[in-house]
Amino acid sequence: MSESYDRGLVEDFGRWTEFSAGMWAWVFHKFTGWVLVGYLFTHISVLSTSLQGAQAYNNTLSGLEGLALVRILEVGLLAVAVFHILNGIRLLFVDLGVGLEAQDKSFYASLVLTGVIVVASVPTFLAGAF
Amino acid sequence: MAERYSSFRSGSTTWLLQRLTAAFLVVVLAFHFFNLHFVTHAYEIEFAGSQARMETLGYYVTMVLFLVTATFHGVNGVYNALVNQGIDGKAKRAAQIVLGVAGILLVVQGVRVANALAGF
Repeated sequence: MSESYDRGLVEDFGRWTEFSAGMWAWVFHKFTGWVLVGYLFTHISVLSTSLQGAQAYNNTLSGLEGLALVRILEVGLLAVAVFHILNGIRLLFVDLGVGLEAQDKSFYASLVLTGVIVVASVPTFLAGAF
Repeated sequence: MAERYSSFRSGSTTWLLQRLTAAFLVVVLAFHFFNLHFVTHAYEIEFAGSQARMETLGYYVTMVLFLVTATFHGVNGVYNALVNQGIDGKAKRAAQIVLGVAGILLVVQGVRVANALAGF
């Protein structure tokens, strides 16, 4: 079964060259989590234009979607969300004690699958942006 | 062997809620992205379409639950990350208050948006 393991302080990012796969998974999960919660506040702010009526809502959304930078940032958001979802599923299994011996491989699989999904989604996300 | 990198104290109520909301959010966040980027493209979204979706009771309820669970999961995640970084005492209490109030305001505003779109 599980053993106590002194991994040192993962919060000490100065040690990043010593980080193992599981520690990188922790760092990436934190980073993507911070981005997603920040985006959630931004998202509700933008959608709040609906309180001023259909015109304000439509103008805001079409204005934002008309910016190539926003469309590119949406691809970044997709990457962040897909990784957080896939690594989140991995964490739920780890918490249940399933696949502990392959937790490094499942982290690499999360990264690769995120990359594949994001690359495959680029044409849809950037359609008509340029 | 087993390396545990969680920011959460195992066995606590918030630990359990973080995982329960995670299981829900995995499904609903994927649905949300798929629905509003692939079924309907983001650049096609207009008030009328958002209104039509939100007027469906099941969609409205799902989105409000999505808002509440995502807010809890996000705010609780940030709080635990800060605790993990070593904040305690007054800083910890301030984080609880600021994040708690921010979370409540976000849910209230999000429900107002959902109600405006649903025509309530």
